[in-house]
Formats: sequence, structure tokens, C-alpha cells
Amino acid sequence: MHPILSHLRRLFLFQAGLLLVGILLAWFLVDMHFASWAGALLFALPVLQLYGFILTSAYYVSRSQPFSVRTASKILSVFGGAALFSSLAWLGFCFLWNSLSHNLGLAWAGVQFTNQVAIFIFCIGCVLYVMSLLAHDVLIAFENIREAERQQAATQVLARDAELQLLRSQINPHFLFNSLNSISALTTFNAEAARAMTIELGDFFRKTLAVSERKMIPLAEEISLCEHFLAIEKIRFGEKLVTQFDIQALALDAQVLPMFLQPLVENAIKHGIYHLSEGGTIRLNGIIQGARLHLEISNPIDVGVLVSAINKTQGTGTGLKNLKARFENIYGSQAKVSWQLLGNIFSVNIQIPLGILPQAEATAILKRVS
Amino acid sequence: MNPLSVLIVDDEALARRLSREYLSKYNDIQIVGECDNGLDAVEMINRLNPDLILLDIFMPKLTGLEVLALTGRAHGVIFTTAYDQYALKAFDLHAVDYLLKPFSQQRFDEAIARARTLLNESRPEIPALLADTKVERIVVRDRGQVHMIPLAEIDYIEAQDDYISIQWQGRSVLKTQSLSALEAQLDEQMFIRIHRSYIVRLNAVKALERVSKDAQLAVLSNGAKLPISRAGYERIKAFIL
Repeated sequence: MHPILSHLRRLFLFQAGLLLVGILLAWFLVDMHFASWAGALLFALPVLQLYGFILTSAYYVSRSQPFSVRTASKILSVFGGAALFSSLAWLGFCFLWNSLSHNLGLAWAGVQFTNQVAIFIFCIGCVLYVMSLLAHDVLIAFENIREAERQQAATQVLARDAELQLLRSQINPHFLFNSLNSISALTTFNAEAARAMTIELGDFFRKTLAVSERKMIPLAEEISLCEHFLAIEKIRFGEKLVTQFDIQALALDAQVLPMFLQPLVENAIKHGIYHLSEGGTIRLNGIIQGARLHLEISNPIDVGVLVSAINKTQGTGTGLKNLKARFENIYGSQAKVSWQLLGNIFSVNIQIPLGILPQAEATAILKRVS
Repeated sequence: MNPLSVLIVDDEALARRLSREYLSKYNDIQIVGECDNGLDAVEMINRLNPDLILLDIFMPKLTGLEVLALTGRAHGVIFTTAYDQYALKAFDLHAVDYLLKPFSQQRFDEAIARARTLLNESRPEIPALLADTKVERIVVRDRGQVHMIPLAEIDYIEAQDDYISIQWQGRSVLKTQSLSALEAQLDEQMFIRIHRSYIVRLNAVKALERVSKDAQLAVLSNGAKLPISRAGYERIKAFIL
């Protein structure tokens, strides 16, 4: 988007400027007795219009030199060269236009094209071109600032969304009320199980509150949290819910984002096991490979349900996309979150770099050190 | 008092057990059945016609509301749900009774007492609630089989006397419902009423064909051509053009 051509107000101002310079040029010619007013204006105004086009093309020259890699010599050569070339070209056009007007045969048309006039036009051309380059520089800088602000606002919104998602997953009403209802049922015929469930529930919520304050936790803690959650769900689902965790001992020490795995487990139940009349198995595998933590969680699904779940606005898709955004916010492009459906098994794959602090932390440390 | 028959529908065994426990103090109430999913519930409601149904809203296969839509049942229903109250605004709006889990014996008793006074009276609340609720798929019973048709698979729906014919992926099925009633339950950005007798899914329309100065046809990707009324054209042109 050209900063002048695509903004009506700026274009208008630009045109007004060209007109003014045209009149000044004409005035110079008349003052030096090189033409009459009519002839001078006939000469000056159109050629300035033509030069207007050449001046707006300075935008591309300006843009071709990004601010961060500019050196004095490069700027001098590129900008200087462009200015010289454009002015010379314009001089040529002025001469042609003047010859044409002479051939019109009108007494007042045409200008005496002396060397003085040529030098004057060339100087104006250079000056105008350099001014145009500088003006476009300023406009480009403004654009860059606006773009940076826009991007920052967008990341902030994303981060806030992720925070809200985190909070919601800590207080999941459906899960909470169903669990309380189960406890209520257990009290009369299995008081021990009721007590055990209240304790699991308390442990689960206490742990989610505790980890929410920390930036990173060891994988072992996140899995412990999931196990409390699953203990409660298993009471509700009975034999329908089976889990198989296979985590390498070394992987348990890896630092991970808090509450990233629990929503995945919850989704595996909500969108997978819940809809299968015979239930199914949720599998979780974790290994360290090549300085990265590889995690895979998979569960069977009822394919028909997945189709309608994806068509809804809330469904597996949104939760996973939020997770991916959260990861990208912290790890940039070094973490990978992907998901796929093979047959009736839905699996989510996560790769997290080890031993690398999240960007925000790293920047903070660097600031303290310098 | 006449003995009441009750059907308990909930996907969680513990929740059903709790309801059984709360009912045990009533010696004039008999539990005639229990089921843990919507499909079984439809079959049992049609077969047993219980006086009262304790119905969970969120269930696998079919939701509680879909069960009611399929059976046409409009009386003697107490909904039980763990949903937070925000999701139940429509229920409050139409004065449909529900119990929030976990509930006490006392609240349960109050709901039973209320239901007892309205017994066998077909109340307008439930049909009103169903009519007012947007659906995510169309459920219809055809010769003993239940079809659950995702909205994205439907091509168009045609009115035929007292029925509507739903066309999806080369198949069709009849449902007892008026076209206008279905229209109210569908997302108006996704489905357009192009004619007194036709509702079409927007993304299934390939092009519009002009047959005369006043008449247009909607040409679908599956080849079908449907007439568009003048009012229908006003509605669809905003989306097509």
C-alpha cells in the first residue's frame, strides 16, 4: 500500500504541493524573461505532474533500504544515484515537452530552453526527489511503529485468553458438580469411597491452585495432578475408563508448563471415552529424545461424534488451538503441538525443548545481567 | 393417590443410584426402568410410557432434549443436570423445572410434589423450550431406527403436507414437524428459507439460475434445482452476492 497514493488526504496535499512548485517554476521563467505567463504555466504544470509520478516511486527506493541495515555509504550511493537519475530523466521530458509546445505554432507557447533553465530544473528535480525520499522514510517509519503496536496487542490478547483458559480449567463446573453428586451418592452405601473421593477432589483443586502461580513445573507434578483427576473420573466411569501411562524416568524431571496436560486428558474423556459405550483406554507416552521432551496422548473416539464436535464452535479444535497458541507464546517456534486422527484413534503430539528457559524469563535474566 | 411409574435416565451409575435412594421413601412410586443413554431412553419411553421421567440433559448418543424431541413427550419430566446455571437460561425462560446436581432430598421432594400436581397434563413449556433451542443436528425416527443427521450434511429440506422431507447425502427421511418450526431451530446464517416449501443449506448451493424475469432457481452441488420465491430471494441474495 503506497503511503501517499492510497490515502486521499495525503494525495490531495501532494497535488497541492506539485501545483505550488509548478507555479514557482513558472514565476522563475517569467522573471528571467524566458517565457510569458501562459507559456510558462503550460510548460511547468504538466511537467511537474509527470514528475509527481516519479516522486511517488521514491517510496520503493526508500523501502528497498530497511532501516536496520542502512550504512551511510550505501544510502549516499542508492539515494544519490536515484535522485540524479530521476532528475536527468525529468530534464529530458521537460525538453521534449517544450519542443512539442514550440511545434504547436502558438506565439505564446514554448520556453527558451537555455542552459540556465536546464541547470535550474535539474537542481529542483534533485531537491524534490531527495525530499520525497525523506518523506517516504518518515511514512514508512510510522507504518512500522503501527504494525509493531498491532502485533503486540494481538499477542497480549492471546496471552490473556490462555490465562483465562487456565483459570477455567481450574474451576470446571461440570466436573466439580458431577463429582460432588457422586460423593453424595456414595455416602449412604460406601462411606469410605465417599471420603476417598472428597480427599482426591481436595487434592486436585489444591494442586491446580498451587501450580497456577508457577511458570514451570516438573512433568512429575503435572502427571500427579492428572492422576488425581483420573482417580475421580474413574469412580464416575468405572470400567469404561482405562489409562496406560508410560513415562521415561528421565522425562519426569523435565520442566513443563503447568496445567497443559490435564485439559488434554479431560478432552480425551469428554470427547472420546464418554461417547463410547464400552469405554476405552487413554494412553500417555513420554520420552526424552535429542534434548527435547516428546509426549503423546491418544484415545479412541466415536468418529461420528468428532465430526459434529468439530463443527461446533467449542470442541477439540478450539482447546488444542489455545494450547498451541500458549506454547508459541512461551517457546516461540521451538515447541511443536500437532494432532491427528488415524482410524478411530485420536492422538496429540507435543515436543518441548529442554533446559531452555521460556523467552520471557530469558529476557528478564539478560536484563538483570546487563 | 395412584401409584406413579418413574423412569430414571442418567449416564452415571452413581447418579441413578442416588435418585433411587431418594425415591425409596415413596411407597406409591415405582421405578419401571433405568437407562444410561438417550437411545435406550427413547425406546423405553415409547414402550413403557412412564408417568414421570428423571432425565439427565447431557448424555452420550442423544441429549435429554433430543430424547424429548424424538418421543414427542411433553409431560412429566424432571431434568437433572450438573450444568452451571448460565446454560439453563432457556429453561428458566420457559419455566421448565430442573434439579441441579448435587441436590438434597428436600429439593428432590419438592420437584416430585410439583410434578405430581401436573401429572398427565401436556404442558406447553417443553415444546416451547425445544422450539426455542437451536439444534446441532436433526434427529428423526424412521421405522424404528434413529437417524442423527449433522447439519453440515444436509442439502435441503422440503415441506410435504404435515411432514418435512430432509435430504442429505442422497438419502431422504420424513419427519413430523412444520418447516417453520424447524426453521426456528436452525442457524439462519447456515440455512435459508428460500421458498414456502424449501429450506436450503447455504454451502450446498452452487449457483442461482434465472429462468424468467421473476423466477429464479437455486442449483445445488448435488444437481437438485429448487424454486426461490421473491421473499426467499431477498433472504438469500445477501449471502450469495
